[in-house]
Amino acid sequence: MSAEPREQPGRDGAAFIKSGPEPVLELSQDQPTKVATRDLNFYYGDFLALKGINLEVPRNRVTSLIGPSGCGKSTLIRVFNRMYDLVPGARVEGQVLIDGEDVTGKHVDAVGLRQRVGMVFQKPNPFPMSIYDNVAYGPRILGWRKNLDELVEKSLRQAALWDEVKDRLHRSGLALSGGQQQRLVIARVLAVEPEVILMDEPASALDPIATLKIEDLTHELKKTYTILIVTHNMQQAARASDYAAFMMMSPERYGELVEFGPTVEIFNRPKSKLTEDYITGRFG
Amino acid sequence: MIRRHFEEELDEVRTIASRMAALVEDAIRLSMQSLLKRDRDLANLVVEGDKEINRLHMQLREEVFTIISTQAPVASDLRLVIGVGYIGAELERMGDYATRIAKRSRRLADEPEGSPAVYVELGQMAELVEQQVHDILDAFIAVDQAAAMAVAERDDRIDRLYRKVFADQISAMTEDPEHALRTQYLLNIAHTLERLADRVTNVAEDIVFLATGDVVELD
Repeated sequence: MSAEPREQPGRDGAAFIKSGPEPVLELSQDQPTKVATRDLNFYYGDFLALKGINLEVPRNRVTSLIGPSGCGKSTLIRVFNRMYDLVPGARVEGQVLIDGEDVTGKHVDAVGLRQRVGMVFQKPNPFPMSIYDNVAYGPRILGWRKNLDELVEKSLRQAALWDEVKDRLHRSGLALSGGQQQRLVIARVLAVEPEVILMDEPASALDPIATLKIEDLTHELKKTYTILIVTHNMQQAARASDYAAFMMMSPERYGELVEFGPTVEIFNRPKSKLTEDYITGRFG
Repeated sequence: MIRRHFEEELDEVRTIASRMAALVEDAIRLSMQSLLKRDRDLANLVVEGDKEINRLHMQLREEVFTIISTQAPVASDLRLVIGVGYIGAELERMGDYATRIAKRSRRLADEPEGSPAVYVELGQMAELVEQQVHDILDAFIAVDQAAAMAVAERDDRIDRLYRKVFADQISAMTEDPEHALRTQYLLNIAHTLERLADRVTNVAEDIVFLATGDVVELD
């Protein structure tokens, strides 16, 4: 037995060999970009609402947009499916790319774009018709020729609502609970087989259980779709998204992107003092 | 101020950890004095005082748990809460080490004193450890990662002294087997001082985490 004390008292062996921390997953190594903006400025008439937004949203991931009220989150997600077309005086500078194709040009068919980029709003807004007809609405307009029953069932299953409504498909969608209505709206979006789903505070009107169901659903849906979600609920952004974009209103009162990165990084070690102060509740 | 209550809770965990740190610093100093002065009363004081360190540690754990469950902290707040929780565990253990030294000192007070050389070396080790503990706690209060890393680097000097004491005491044990028990107690105190310095390194790692969120291994 050696008379020298061991440097590290305790057991020896391969499992005890020191190793450094695992490298943090690099953004660019994850998924290719599905949706992007390049030097995006957005105006309501003369008012500059968004300035210089450069954002790359990865495919098959949930990306949350967070930031104080009035920072332009909802405006930004409405840019992705050109909801602003309906607002007089609204216009875009720069590019909005989906799979690398700019969708801001006048030649782009807005209806076709909204089929590719579906949207779910804060308040569930089922149409005043049956559950079945709500889901079948989009496909019928688009001239769906295949088995509609199958599509309705598939969409309701994807929206995690099928088991709850399969015996009452022809009852009014308005008779469902708030959480069920929101999932019905999601099923309606899914029925037209979009590529991207935009959600503008989809759970803010729901109770905690219904909220968790929506969050759980986004985890499933991202396997097929790219999801962008606006939320005021920091814990929801932390729980439910893979990437997070923090926006703020500049002193000149336009919205800008402050920081974007993996959600874990944003919530564990944000790079910007502004992000840190916002997510820790030092200002709101 | 929109998070006054939360700030008060964060202040509370900082205060408990600082109080633990002050008690641990005292405990180490007094335990070594009890050894060098062969003073049983001082040793008893350290053993008794450890109960307060343990009580504060339990209180700290309760506070940390409550903040996480009720405030859901993130970013620097979360790192503070988790980091202080880690540091609290290290401090509690450091208190146990001081208690161990005090108990060995009590036993040694019953033994003949023996060679003064080893006490000088143990005194030097203790001085370095006490300074390290003092400086690392300053770095903790200032959340100063550079200072924390600098303190951890000083661990080598304590390791060198420990190796010297170890070699000397092994020789003493061979040359004077009659007093092997005393030698064993002295070796145990030297080892405990060396472990205290290792705990300082752990606290330095926790301070780096608290300041940056990076999990590091400092040698």
